Amino acid sequence: MAELLDNFLVRSVIAGLLMVSIAAPMGCLMVWQRLAFLSDTLGHAAVMGVGLGLVLQLNPMIGVLAVVLLIVISLSQVNSFNNAFSETTLAIISHTGLAAGLILLGALPSSSISLEAILFGDLLATTRADLGMILATTLLLLFLLFRHWRSFVAVSVSREIAQAEGIAVRKVQFLMYLMIALLVAVMMKVMGVLLIAAMLVIPTSGARLLSKTPEQMVLFSLAFGLASLATGIFTSFHLDWQTGPSIVLCATALLLITLLTFRHFRPGSH
Amino acid sequence: MSPELLIRAKNISYSRGDNRILDRVSFDLHRAQITTIIGPNGAGKSTLTCIVNGLIDQFSGEIERAPGLRIGYLPQRVYVNRLMPLNVERLMQLTRQVSEAEVESALAQTEVAYLKGRQVQSLSEGELKRVLLARTTLGNPDLIVLDEPTAGVDVTGEVKMYKLIGEFRDRLQCAVLLVSHDLHLVMSQTDQVLCLNRHLCCSGLPEAVSQHPEYQALFGQHTGESLAVYSHHHDHVHDVAGHQSDHNG
Repeated sequence: MAELLDNFLVRSVIAGLLMVSIAAPMGCLMVWQRLAFLSDTLGHAAVMGVGLGLVLQLNPMIGVLAVVLLIVISLSQVNSFNNAFSETTLAIISHTGLAAGLILLGALPSSSISLEAILFGDLLATTRADLGMILATTLLLLFLLFRHWRSFVAVSVSREIAQAEGIAVRKVQFLMYLMIALLVAVMMKVMGVLLIAAMLVIPTSGARLLSKTPEQMVLFSLAFGLASLATGIFTSFHLDWQTGPSIVLCATALLLITLLTFRHFRPGSH
Repeated sequence: MSPELLIRAKNISYSRGDNRILDRVSFDLHRAQITTIIGPNGAGKSTLTCIVNGLIDQFSGEIERAPGLRIGYLPQRVYVNRLMPLNVERLMQLTRQVSEAEVESALAQTEVAYLKGRQVQSLSEGELKRVLLARTTLGNPDLIVLDEPTAGVDVTGEVKMYKLIGEFRDRLQCAVLLVSHDLHLVMSQTDQVLCLNRHLCCSGLPEAVSQHPEYQALFGQHTGESLAVYSHHHDHVHDVAGHQSDHNG
């Protein structure tokens, strides 16, 4: 096993599998609560985090975690009980973060980091340390998901019913924002900002077409994610495309195929 | 012997901005009693139920809840995101683990067992209300809170639905807090009426409230007459779908 981890391809495949398995349930929750745009916002703002981390000569991950946490905490303070985040607020944060990030990166010596690496990461350059962080984060998030799953789903369906029937809605929601922040911060070095955001949304959209219950949608998302990962890495290897973008395009291709195949199929509507 | 006190609300006031929505409202909810909140649009009826439920916590006044109080809630509106697959069976298990048999028998009470496998988004408003009403009875609630349970249900189905709510109360020995516009239909099932118009105009037994001058000023005297019509001339039954049949009793 230890020697196996010396192989860069093995490390990157394991990292990809972990990312896909946590992106399935997290992505479903985000889509149900209309938070898909939040992952995008956090991703763009994370560029600023990377810049800050490098300028302050810290680990970029710490910069990202700080910025992303700051955003979710302040958003959850202004978020009123009944409304999702306003798209406008998210867009403002998103663009501001990206702009500030580009300025910070521009101030650094040109060799230190490329924007492309931030956007798409480098799955094939996953180190043992990266893999350890990703594994620990995935296990923590999966544990929290199992523990609070019924509450997460209930809050997604109706905050009113959930709160009245004894679920601490604000706490549950805040926990979810923290989990999203952690996911983005830890995964972004290897996966990149765009790949994370894409893997939270694209496989879930395909899974929606086939599912009758929330839990089924998570399983189908997992299947879609795994298929995208496999086909993406395969294409990347054989066509010499960048790995991250290849996975995203394969996910979209799978979504389109599903859409065309199941266009007229609406599970459980009759 | 007075029934167990489940909720005591004392001098509840609530404002949104400069708008005073509730002004010093006090009442008690007892086990196995049906309490109906009536009042015109904008009277603060839904706001009051939200405070009872714990949905709104920035109010002044005091709410005492019996420890471990279990609530089943039917909100006025439920909007389920179309991006979320959710069938009726899973909706029934939303906040509590319940067996399939319990789900089926709960749905059968409101005559919607056939909807079990349907997607929630494909239900009509009336169907959804019946599913949600059935849902509130799961998990042995101490209190069920129903915010306009018959909105979207046809008039003939309403009578049956209110009768059913009375049966829930008898079987589960739970308190019921009901928001309603259908004064004449509700009255015969109710133990306590709260007539609300931002402040509590009057409260008490239905007969007493319907004679109260503030009630009559709000709703007019004719409502008392239609109450009489409904309580004395009801010699046939309707099922939820509105079919009529002869009374067997």
